[in-house]
Amino acid sequence: MPMMRNVEQDEHIEQLWYMKEQNVAAMDFLKKAMEHAFDPKIIEGLVEIGWVDMAADGLTVRLTEAGEARARQLIRAHRLAERLIADVLGGGDLEAIACEFEHIVSPELVNGICTLLGHPKECPHGMPIPEGDCCKLAHKSALSLIIPLTDLKPGESARIAYINCRNDQQIHKLEGLCIRPGVIVKLHQDFPTYVIECEGASIALDKGVVANISVWKNPRGNDLAGADKVPGKEAHPGALKKFVDAFFSRKTG
Amino acid sequence: MAISPAESQQDQPHEASGSAGASSGASPRKVALVGLPNTGKTQVFNNLTGEYGLVANYPGTTIDIRRSLVTIKAQRYEIIDTPGLRSLYIHSEEEVAVRDMIFFEKPDIIVQCIDASQYKQSLLLTAELLELGIPMVLVLNAMDDMSRHGLGVDAAQLEKILAVPVAGSVALHGLGQEDLTAVIGKAKKGRRDVTYGVKIENSLRELALALPFDLEFKHKIATLLLQNDPFLEKFLENKFGTEKLAPARAVLNAVRHQVKGNLRQIISDRRNQWVDTVAAAVLKKQEGVRQGLSFHLTQASRQPLLGIPIFLFLMAVVYLAVVYVSGALDKFINFIAVTPVTRFITSFSLPAFWNDLLIGNHGILTLGLFNAICTVLPILSVFFFIFGCFEDSGYITNFTVLTKNVFEKIGIPGNAITSLVLGFGCKTMATLSTRSLTIRKEQYIAVFLIAFAIPCSAQLGISMAILARVGLSAFVIVFAALVVCEVGAGLFLNTIIKGKEASWFIQVIPPLRFPSLRAVSRKTYHRILDFLKEALPIFLLSAVGLFIFEKTGLLAMTKQAMTPMIVNWMGLPKDIIDVFLLALARREAAAGLILKMVDSGALTYVQSILAVVVTTISFPCVANVIAIGREMGWKTAVIMTALIFVSSFLLVGGLRWILVLFLGH
Repeated sequence: MPMMRNVEQDEHIEQLWYMKEQNVAAMDFLKKAMEHAFDPKIIEGLVEIGWVDMAADGLTVRLTEAGEARARQLIRAHRLAERLIADVLGGGDLEAIACEFEHIVSPELVNGICTLLGHPKECPHGMPIPEGDCCKLAHKSALSLIIPLTDLKPGESARIAYINCRNDQQIHKLEGLCIRPGVIVKLHQDFPTYVIECEGASIALDKGVVANISVWKNPRGNDLAGADKVPGKEAHPGALKKFVDAFFSRKTG
Repeated sequence: MAISPAESQQDQPHEASGSAGASSGASPRKVALVGLPNTGKTQVFNNLTGEYGLVANYPGTTIDIRRSLVTIKAQRYEIIDTPGLRSLYIHSEEEVAVRDMIFFEKPDIIVQCIDASQYKQSLLLTAELLELGIPMVLVLNAMDDMSRHGLGVDAAQLEKILAVPVAGSVALHGLGQEDLTAVIGKAKKGRRDVTYGVKIENSLRELALALPFDLEFKHKIATLLLQNDPFLEKFLENKFGTEKLAPARAVLNAVRHQVKGNLRQIISDRRNQWVDTVAAAVLKKQEGVRQGLSFHLTQASRQPLLGIPIFLFLMAVVYLAVVYVSGALDKFINFIAVTPVTRFITSFSLPAFWNDLLIGNHGILTLGLFNAICTVLPILSVFFFIFGCFEDSGYITNFTVLTKNVFEKIGIPGNAITSLVLGFGCKTMATLSTRSLTIRKEQYIAVFLIAFAIPCSAQLGISMAILARVGLSAFVIVFAALVVCEVGAGLFLNTIIKGKEASWFIQVIPPLRFPSLRAVSRKTYHRILDFLKEALPIFLLSAVGLFIFEKTGLLAMTKQAMTPMIVNWMGLPKDIIDVFLLALARREAAAGLILKMVDSGALTYVQSILAVVVTTISFPCVANVIAIGREMGWKTAVIMTALIFVSSFLLVGGLRWILVLFLGH
């Protein structure tokens, strides 16, 4: 029997995922978080199809394994969409677009976007993006437009797309050195250790740190380091933009 | 301005310049010099106060907070020099000291030093400092470097945007000091226009209200708490106790639930945007500036293909300079001072006792004064000068990159290499600089290795001079042996000490610049002055001590008792005991004596090698042990010292047998 996949249902599942991330399972919390969008009937429906577990007293709710699988898909699509919009499409209302996006894409398409973006691990807000099959295979695909900084050759410059890093201290240190998304860095050498130039300063880094930095494969021009441009969003690599435009026109058209 | 000799690491400020006319009643205004590492804070401090704090071209030269009182335009100021600070969000203990100083002492004025090569990075710190609401002045340092990079800053525009005075400066050459003294009295609070959005600003206000009432800088502290600063919560807990913090903690938890996403990220994104805007308005870049020689040299010095030859070349320069230049100086001093004085004393034909006391083998003049100024001083001056050039050129940090892989293989983390290299200058300073290492295991290994087989400038210079008389091969053997000891110790400690995760390595590399002759000379002068002040009395006292030891027969007894150890195991002559006893007091004094023994033929080739190795690693000097105690605790200091002492004798004995096996006799 085809399952009813409506937007309201998805939103409940998502909220339950956020609660799982925060280790909360109280029904009251769910009610409060969803405000007027909360609908007990939907929860009942979810329990019926086996996606949600509700305690007998009705005080706690949790996603089941099957429910989690669906939630993972949704969150993954949502956060990848945010990445796509923030990095490629020049920002805008992340939340609104991502919310639309997550309900209409297939898992294959999500994997495709994930690959293009070089398998990011976090959304622009710093929340984890659940891994998909494509990330687990960890293929370096020729399709990727975003590659780890370690793949650059000495002398090449590239614009940082994002930094995959869970260590707050480390990412703060990098940001203190102006190593952050949107900035152009130049790789000076990769042996005996990595040295990059960023905003006028030369910085030596471990391979472990450099591997977390993802950059656009094709910056416009070859030697952009030090170019006196405010890192803006104008340099979207054409291919991905076209792809995204085509995608949206197909959907809306 | 009168130059008062450097007495570093003092907590109490003292008068630096003759400020006789200064009003005595009013308490001085506190001026904190703050800025990223290696932005010339200490140089500005030196220029303002006329004192001398060590300056060099690598991040982390200044380890302790330093103060001095000066009078500028009839206003008394207490100038406070601080170690580098990247952000008020803290990464290491040494940064904590700076932040605590700001939070507790609430300086009246903050002077932020900004270096050309880290312009935008510095503005990130400016954004944070403006949030404190303390009157500020900005110093744009190294303006000469800036124009060389084709960068220009519209200072007037910057002043307008930040609403604080901006002074240009080339502190290293003493330029722009008038600018600074002119504006320091006009420091202004500046405009805080980085905001974090309604939601976060509201939360900040709420959190600030919930913080203990007698806390200063509530808004800033609230921001840091939202950013999850690891040191701050612990600190507040200790200061106020759990109970008083409970309301703040409740608000903090509520905020963390309310605001979606990573708060730290949102806050720093806002600051980054602000920096981008300011930089775009103020920074002028000249296109097509050609990369100069210094850029290519910097590149070459940290790549193996050219970096290793460059390193070897530099070592050869040091060796030749120490051997020939100091040799010539030695002869010169001998000619103008030692020989006439000796002749003069001999001409009196004093009784034997007095003759011995003054110019005998263990005489005060021979072993004390002449040894210090004739043998040791020339070598040290030359070595200090060259090491000063290395420090100021920025080579040391580039060397870190070149050698990181090798060092890491033997368990020395990349972050510790600079400290280790500094050990060749002064082990005490090097030990204190390990404070920036955040992982205890790494710091332990670094501190041990610095104390172990690295010769400090005094030892290194003199060892070179000794070995040069025996032959270049001896030099190579000794340094190979020391490297083996050091690597062995590193590997050993790395295996036995259990550590948590490895740290990550992120290090800013200063660009190579041609060292300023004036700055290096000044630094050398102060180091020599320090040496004379510290070491000369000890040289004299130890000579007297040894003289008494000899005359009372205690020396002969000690020699008898140590014979099995010294003669049988290490294969050294009995008289080397004199050297060991002197080494207890001051290592250079001992080395001077070895030089004399080599010259008189009392030591063979192998014995000379052994003598140099044993004096290099036998035990750390007193100052070094104190530094270890300060950083690692006294128990560790005692254990390390004992470990080094015992292993040095075992190792030297072992080395003897290896040498005898390969070289005979």
